[in-house]
Amino acid sequence: MNKLGRGQRDKVQQLISITGASEKVAIQALKSSDWQLEGAFDIFYSQPQIKSFADTRHLEELYNRYKDPYADMIMADGITILCSDLQVDPQDIVMLVVSWHMKAATMCEFSKQEFVGGLQSLGIDSLEKLRERIPFMRSELKDEQKFREIYNFAFGWAKEKGQKSLALDTAIGMWQLLFAERQWPLVDHWCQFLQARHNKAISRDTWSQLLEFARTVDPTLSNYDPEGAWPYLIDEFVDYLTENGIFEKGKLSEWSYKH
Amino acid sequence: MSGAKKRNFQIEAFKHRVVVDPKYAEKTWKILEDAIHEIYNHNASGLSFEELYRNAYNMVLHKFGEKLYSGLVSTMTSHLKKIAKSIEAAQGAMFLEELNRNWTEHNKALQMIRDILMYMDRTFIPSTHKTPVHELGLNLWRDNIIHSSKIQTRLQDTLLELVQCERTGDVINRGLTRNITKMLMDLGPSVYQENFEKPFLDVSADFYRVESQQFIEHCDCGDYLKKAEKRLNEEIERVSHYLDARSEAKITSVVEKEMIESHMHRLVHMENSGLVSMIMDEKFEDLGRMYNLLLRVPNGLTIIKEVMTSHIRETGKDLVTDPERLKDPVNFVQELLDKKDRLDKIINLAFNNDKNFQNALNSSFEYFINLNPRSPEFISLFVDDKLRNGLKKDKEEDIETVLDKVMMLFRYLQEKDVFEKYYKQHLAKRLLSGKTSSDDAERSLIVKLKTECGYQFTSKLEGMFTDMKTSQDTMHGFYDAMGAEIADCPTLSVQVLTTGSWPTQSSSTCNLPPEILGVCDKFKTYYLGTHTGRRLTWQTNMGTAVLGATFGNVQKELGVSTYQMCILMLFNHSDRLSYKEIEQATEIPPSDLKRCLQSLACVKGKNVLRKDPMSKDIAEDDAFYFNDKFTTKLYRVKIGTVVAQKESEPEKQETRQRVEEDRKPQIEAAIVRIMKSRRVLDHNNIVTEVTKQLQSRFLPNPVVIKKRIESLIEREFLERDKTDRKLYRYLA
Repeated sequence: MNKLGRGQRDKVQQLISITGASEKVAIQALKSSDWQLEGAFDIFYSQPQIKSFADTRHLEELYNRYKDPYADMIMADGITILCSDLQVDPQDIVMLVVSWHMKAATMCEFSKQEFVGGLQSLGIDSLEKLRERIPFMRSELKDEQKFREIYNFAFGWAKEKGQKSLALDTAIGMWQLLFAERQWPLVDHWCQFLQARHNKAISRDTWSQLLEFARTVDPTLSNYDPEGAWPYLIDEFVDYLTENGIFEKGKLSEWSYKH
Repeated sequence: MSGAKKRNFQIEAFKHRVVVDPKYAEKTWKILEDAIHEIYNHNASGLSFEELYRNAYNMVLHKFGEKLYSGLVSTMTSHLKKIAKSIEAAQGAMFLEELNRNWTEHNKALQMIRDILMYMDRTFIPSTHKTPVHELGLNLWRDNIIHSSKIQTRLQDTLLELVQCERTGDVINRGLTRNITKMLMDLGPSVYQENFEKPFLDVSADFYRVESQQFIEHCDCGDYLKKAEKRLNEEIERVSHYLDARSEAKITSVVEKEMIESHMHRLVHMENSGLVSMIMDEKFEDLGRMYNLLLRVPNGLTIIKEVMTSHIRETGKDLVTDPERLKDPVNFVQELLDKKDRLDKIINLAFNNDKNFQNALNSSFEYFINLNPRSPEFISLFVDDKLRNGLKKDKEEDIETVLDKVMMLFRYLQEKDVFEKYYKQHLAKRLLSGKTSSDDAERSLIVKLKTECGYQFTSKLEGMFTDMKTSQDTMHGFYDAMGAEIADCPTLSVQVLTTGSWPTQSSSTCNLPPEILGVCDKFKTYYLGTHTGRRLTWQTNMGTAVLGATFGNVQKELGVSTYQMCILMLFNHSDRLSYKEIEQATEIPPSDLKRCLQSLACVKGKNVLRKDPMSKDIAEDDAFYFNDKFTTKLYRVKIGTVVAQKESEPEKQETRQRVEEDRKPQIEAAIVRIMKSRRVLDHNNIVTEVTKQLQSRFLPNPVVIKKRIESLIEREFLERDKTDRKLYRYLA
């Protein structure tokens, strides 16, 4: 610490107070980010689990606040309270990000391990810290790589336990949510298509391949490759779009609800 | 001479007398010059060969070779000039005669001169690199006679005129012409080519161009080809008689180009007489001629092949999509076989069994047979008809030949698994109704199918035969064991079918009459006694019965299906039954029941029941009576036959659906096999490999393959590669 300038020392202090990291780690992070605080946050949070034992008691208390009276889990009610505490809508997509960090197995419930362990790995030991972290988590959705992980995580999280596929309604809901964050112009057509033509559950492969489709194929389908080994459902979607005359000379025409 | 101890003998060359006479050369040359004159004037007999030779020899020896040589040249030249004049003076036909005569004589003279000047030829000439005497003589002839301005053109024109005459039908002096052309060849191939061959080819090209144009305007294809062939043969003959052999290839290629190549499109496509007409009218000779002529030109055969192929495809397509013809499957297939026979014959007799044509034929058949999705079903029905009824007596072929031909058609099918399904159904019906005309023929066909498609294809079919045989043995055993007990019961004959081998039938309800039930139960007990752990279900929709019936006081026998038997037996206890009563008593499914009642009451000549009202359709409140007024000439009347028929629309859909279902596991198995050995493979390659593996049975749809891949991904047999989404990985 002695060798640092005043400005740098300030930053180190800030980093420590927010992340709860040790001095050594904080300095390391700041050095790696060229003494940019934002960058240092990123570096810090992308590091593997940093346990700090003093916080476990705190977290246990927090857990007990939300835990279901009859089971050793946080269930839907508890989550609602948590959300209101965080001043976040339960439907807010940031909850998905939280669940992702916690590696939650299923939506609308957290096990003790998931809750406590998850918060620990984030270096969070209090509600305020969690609240403060929310904006950062929201920003993580903008990161391409992280979004993909969160998207793919969402499949396993949203589906029923013991099922292999995701129920169509849930899938549509999730897609609406996810693609609101990351604009995909065809999301509404996709959902309409599924309801009209498919009416069955969505497989994991289709789910993950849809993101690739949204990422790589442009909305006018000009670079769609029929030999591209897309899942057949996506091939059918393309047929559906062409059939319904969505595309005229590479421009998306107005969607008239006539299918 | 020095006086040495040893005396070496030295032999000195004999020295001629040195000639110092300056006029020696002149004098000697004069002698030779005169001799040459004499030779050319046909006075050679008075000359002394030895003397002349010696003179020439001496001249060379005394270094006067140059004078001798140049003298020879000028002497010969002057003679040749005189000869040229005399040839030029010749009139009309004598021109060639003179030329020929002089040429012959020149050759004789040349030979003599060469002999005389042999020494010079062998010594002076090689060392000075001058042209040897004989060659010199030829060159001089060429330069002075052939290339003489008054002769050269005239010679060429005369020869070409002769050819033209002969082409228009006149007779010419071939021997003379032969000599002339030979002369030109002797003078050197380039002389022959420049003075005769090249203009000959040009003129011929023009001639044939004009002639072929005339022919093509006025002749039909067959006639034109005959004419072309004739001309070609004429040219070949011409060459052999009076042209150099090497001209043959050149002149034939001129004829081929002008007469054949220029017009071949028009000929082949000619309306009412071209290739298509010839094929349809089976004009073997004309077709053969066309083949042989077009063989000679580039792309000639390609055109024939293309036109033939499109003709076959078109007529084939018409055949398989014609609704009239499709009404009778057996006839339809017969027409296919006849078509194949006709075309085979053409390729065999006229096209020299050309493999390219065979292949074109095969691919065309493959194309149009598969245009009709019912082809597999129809081919099976055809086979069924033949195996059931045998062949008509007037046909020369035996059943083996017919089956072999059917196998050819089978090979063209893309959906062989559909054929398999139908074949199984039809075979089951044949076996169970005992309607095969020849057991050997049946087995023979199975063997052929096995050879073509492998053991898998036929193992179930063979199982069906085995079941039939085993059932026979079982029946013997049954009657041996239980004979006494069931002596009063109706005679039973049971076929026990192994479920996996026979086509799946849904079993339906049917109440057997009590008389039958008893013996059936006894059989069941007997069978299960010897085969524990098995389950037997009566297939009442597949059985038959023979009933004895009395109409008035006439005894008859009725051959009926099991369902019909159940219905008729009811009338032993009542004279009148309503539809409802029959339905209740038998519990036969309504659609089958109605069909049976129709066959018993509504068919003329087989109406053992009377229906009230007399309409064709069965209504719920119809009533039925035993028709004791029924008469027939026959003793045994067949009423219910389980004949294989063309499927109705809903049945067809069902079969197709079952085939599609069966294909799914086969596709999956292929995918797994491929991925297991390759470990990692991209999508397009999987599709190609799967198609290749399955093509002997059917053509898999790429969309279905894709769906199967996704299903396998979900069941965690495969996964997508993390970086390349088109790549799949096998999960062990």
